[in-house]
Amino acid sequence: MISVSTTRRAHRGMVREWRLHALSIFSLAVAFVCLGSALLVVTNLRAVEERWAHAGRASVYLKEGATQDDVDALRAALTRVPGVNAVHYVSSGEARVEFGQRELDSNSVLAALPVEAFPASIELDVAPDMPDADLADMVGKMKALPSVDDVETYQSWTERLARLVRGGVAASALLAVVVLAAVLAVVGSTMRLALQRRRIEVEVLKLVGATDGFVKKPFVIEGSLQGALGAAGAIALLAVLFLLVRGRLDGELAALIGVEPTFLPWPVALGMVALGALLGATAALASLRKMVAI
Amino acid sequence: MRAGNARFSREAAQRPILVFEDVFKSYREGTPVLRGMNLVIERGEFVFVTGPSGSGKSTVLRLLYRGETVDDGRILFLGRDVARLREDAIPFLRRNLGIVFQDFKLVPSWSAYENVAVALEVLGLPQRLIRARVGEALERVGLAGRGEDAAGVLSGGEQQRVAIARAIVGEPALILADEPTGNLDPQLGIDVLGLFEEIHENGTTVLFATHDRTLLEVRPRRVVVLDEGKAIDVPNGIATEEFDNSLPH
Repeated sequence: MISVSTTRRAHRGMVREWRLHALSIFSLAVAFVCLGSALLVVTNLRAVEERWAHAGRASVYLKEGATQDDVDALRAALTRVPGVNAVHYVSSGEARVEFGQRELDSNSVLAALPVEAFPASIELDVAPDMPDADLADMVGKMKALPSVDDVETYQSWTERLARLVRGGVAASALLAVVVLAAVLAVVGSTMRLALQRRRIEVEVLKLVGATDGFVKKPFVIEGSLQGALGAAGAIALLAVLFLLVRGRLDGELAALIGVEPTFLPWPVALGMVALGALLGATAALASLRKMVAI
Repeated sequence: MRAGNARFSREAAQRPILVFEDVFKSYREGTPVLRGMNLVIERGEFVFVTGPSGSGKSTVLRLLYRGETVDDGRILFLGRDVARLREDAIPFLRRNLGIVFQDFKLVPSWSAYENVAVALEVLGLPQRLIRARVGEALERVGLAGRGEDAAGVLSGGEQQRVAIARAIVGEPALILADEPTGNLDPQLGIDVLGLFEEIHENGTTVLFATHDRTLLEVRPRRVVVLDEGKAIDVPNGIATEEFDNSLPH
């Protein structure tokens, strides 16, 4: 149980050694910013992966010599395929216009490409629950047709994205280990320093009959608070940076990746704070193990 | 002792409060500080422990509050062997002792009140009771109304009074004073001794270690002289022929 005396001593310790604790919290915040950034990237990559995994679309690119009859026959055939919800023909001219509208402001060279550079296509709206095998079967059959040049299901891109997300998760896990080590080192050093400065306090407590637990509790609370505040500070800093970046790039980024960038979900943010508190308390306990033998 | 399920026992109440039996202690091999020291102190006694520097006065007290452990022998406090106490029982031993040091051992950044209150906070007493008892203790040592002052800004004599208030606030069975007047001028030293005597008059046993002969001469009390690792008992104080005869020639 945490008594009034324990919390008061922890509060008194933090107030009297505020510079030391502030420095420690800042160092912890820097460590947690690294972890938070990695988690933020992973969160958004996951969102992109999910978006494209269920993109539900495919593009059937037509050969240059495909006639209107070929196109009509293909459209009619595709409409009857189970799992294909809608079929939409995009001519070379329409593709050129669409691309030009999107890229005109940002890249006039691309916008100036000739119409021939944009193949006509049939855009398919595929049901998200369509099995991969059925989709692959349909793609295989379509590729065999003489009027079809290529079929793009965006599957390979999604797979690359999935690999990227897995890499991001691995990097985050590695960063988490680094952050763990950093938190243990920073809180441990702070506690040892605080202890050195408050040695007389510990000595007095032991001489009047305080148990080891009584002596340690305020330091553990201080360590835990440092960890939690460090993590919370890092999240606050990331949130500010996120808002600044999103404010400038939101439209372009959303158009490029197909999803709105999102900040860390609440459970993840709270989890980081809880992790900080836990690591801080553990580090404090570990560094106090030997000190109370008076 | 205060902790645990100890019941009142008439027999235990009649036993000496403190017994040293053949106590040996050395910090370096071949140079023992205590060599089979024997001593019995009854409840309610006021005993000076004296001897030259290095004679083991502080060691005796440190062994008592388990700042050190004996090499051999027994130290019975309230019938229990202090030397055989488990580590987790040491805090409960110390709650039955009031300890006063030459260097006061106060936390300078804490107020006088906080320095005294800590002895009751470790017992988990309610704050209201702590406030009342700390107020009384500060009043007994002549520091009524000074509770809010930081210990670090008090004079030496005042700091020692705070330390004494801390020692008595828990109403311990035994007060250990390790050269408590060593950092004070002679008159303040005598004042502080007077405080310990007042505490003793209320029934508390006091073990007062000092090498200051003037203090021993002021009051005719039982003196234990530590010499060559043994305790020489002088029941009626040093201002007697008995004392001169007891010293080794």
